[in-house]
Amino acid sequence: MAQTSADILIIGAGASGGAVAWRLSDVGLRVVCLEQGHWHKPGEYSTAFDDWEFRGATSFNFNPNVRALPEDYPVDDSGSDVTPLMFNAVGGSTVHWTAHAPRFHPSDFRVRSQDGVADDWPLTYFDLEPYYDLNDQQMGCSGIAGDPANPPRAPRPMPPLPLGPDGERLARGFDSLGWHWWPSDSYINSAPYRGRVACNNCGPNGLGCTVGAKASTDVTYWPAAIANGVELRTGARVFEVTTDSSGRASGARYFDADGNAQFQPARVVVLAANGIGTPRLMLLSKGERHPRGLANSSGLVGRNLMFHPCAAITGFFADGLDPTYRGPLGNILLSQEFYETDRSRGFVRGYTFQMNRSTGPARTAMGFTMPPVAWGEDHHADFAMRFGNSTTVIALGEDLPEEHNRVELSAALTDCNGIAAPKVTYRLSENSARMMAHACTQAEEVLRRAGAHTVKATPLLRPSGWHLMGTARMGDDPRRSVVDHSCRAHDVDNLYIVDGSVFVTGASVNPTPTLQAIALRAADHIRKAHIP
Amino acid sequence: MTGPAPPLNDAQLTILGGAMDRLVPSIDDLPGAGAMGLAPEVDTLARRHPPYRRALSTFIERLALKWRTEAPPAQQDALLRELEAADGATFTAVLELVYLAYYGDARVHRRVAWRGGPLQPQGFPLAPFKSEILDAVRGRPPFWRQT
Repeated sequence: MAQTSADILIIGAGASGGAVAWRLSDVGLRVVCLEQGHWHKPGEYSTAFDDWEFRGATSFNFNPNVRALPEDYPVDDSGSDVTPLMFNAVGGSTVHWTAHAPRFHPSDFRVRSQDGVADDWPLTYFDLEPYYDLNDQQMGCSGIAGDPANPPRAPRPMPPLPLGPDGERLARGFDSLGWHWWPSDSYINSAPYRGRVACNNCGPNGLGCTVGAKASTDVTYWPAAIANGVELRTGARVFEVTTDSSGRASGARYFDADGNAQFQPARVVVLAANGIGTPRLMLLSKGERHPRGLANSSGLVGRNLMFHPCAAITGFFADGLDPTYRGPLGNILLSQEFYETDRSRGFVRGYTFQMNRSTGPARTAMGFTMPPVAWGEDHHADFAMRFGNSTTVIALGEDLPEEHNRVELSAALTDCNGIAAPKVTYRLSENSARMMAHACTQAEEVLRRAGAHTVKATPLLRPSGWHLMGTARMGDDPRRSVVDHSCRAHDVDNLYIVDGSVFVTGASVNPTPTLQAIALRAADHIRKAHIP
Repeated sequence: MTGPAPPLNDAQLTILGGAMDRLVPSIDDLPGAGAMGLAPEVDTLARRHPPYRRALSTFIERLALKWRTEAPPAQQDALLRELEAADGATFTAVLELVYLAYYGDARVHRRVAWRGGPLQPQGFPLAPFKSEILDAVRGRPPFWRQT
């Protein structure tokens, strides 16, 4: 059944879909968003229940292959060194994220010019800066000005989150080495903000925020967008972006919640389905004018997949400090001492250190960022060393784009609607491996300085594919990129891509503020280009 | 597999409980995880999540072939290590179930000083951020790379 035509059709209601919908919601356009997932009630997230650790391991797992909910699609990751992670719901993976809000550095947009690797972006940090600032206001940023590792920027709307005794201990470790550290910018409220309460430090902010103190777009952008008239249709799984005889986008075909095929026509289509879902959909949308997939004349749709390789280095303490599971899991402090290229280290580009806390007893025993606690006679001693006594330094490294790392369509695996699942091929590069080895050594040093009696490292954390980037890259040259600086597809002038797919490089920070800033900027270009 | 999985039978629960005592042995005044009566809880949790259910069924099937309740602990441990080496994924899934049941139990919470219950709405108190801690790093000149 055909629907009334939309001016703007957005596919995906996550981090970028929410931002672009809100930005386009106040100019009298008919904006429709199709989302395969559903609304979740924050009060029903895991941490509201006694068995929150079981729920976190199963129905609320980061990994869609483990959750296997009807709204999830499977991902063939058998050829990947990193497990892709995502959440399918209104809010997307922001429901699940730890809400780190660092920005790219100016240098991250000039990697080719400065370091001779990868490519430069067709825009600069300063092109994005006003949109970063806007996003900080809309999502709600806690943080403090003055960080010497980053350009000066607008004051955050809230002060930093508490460091806690464990954060202060690690900060002293960094200070003792003369290394940079700074309180993390965070999209978690340190004070009441725009009707949402302050964080009460329950801990596992990666499991959804029951009280709404953590920003996810279902509690930030979406209520405002819907109030402005945007129609958000849930349980709607898109399987094709349709095109007309000239090759322009004409709408999308999707399965509704009852499994019936539907068609939504539109003047402009915006893809916001993440760095795996977006190329999957483009590759599914082959047509006479797009024989290799939608807007894929470059052959780059799905290629250059980047994650952020992560090492987890954990220090164990016995100094009687308060238990280390009190406070948000992430978003405490970071260090960008090793952010920029220093070729004497044996690799190009760099990494950020982020502090992570420990967690509840069952998740501690299951290992979390380490192998599980030993079973047998050593069990209780191993558990006692870890539980409430550990602090983890996550090294989040810059992944360079490589065409062989890619998303394709699986020939064998489908979702519950029979649509081909994505197949991910990803191999950790030598550069990244050397970078993570360096990070493990440096992290051990800072943890020892902080007082750790034992340090254990996981040089590559396999379930760390939260950041899905690069699979429909941005650029000026249509032969070497999929979209232009405004996120418009080179091949299809009424098709936009606004998620992490468009990243040219990945930097070594969490990508969400950047992809949301890009989405807000793209919305302004859409307004200029398509509103009479 | 369709329909609700049947619960483990008594014989299977006995075997599972025996293995659980080896996985998480007694400590202080607490007996091992099996003797605490947590095998049915492991089964209940497994039936809530199909991948866990499949792993537990496979594990019990294999364990039952060789498990001897009266065997010395070292021999039982050797069998468990054999199963772990043969199929690490299945073993790890069962170990997770055992840990979820054990560390979800109020008696264990008391022993490890964990509050238990849902984390919300209580949360944990933390003192507000103190900006003096930034004094050292604030003294560093800006070092972000110019373009």
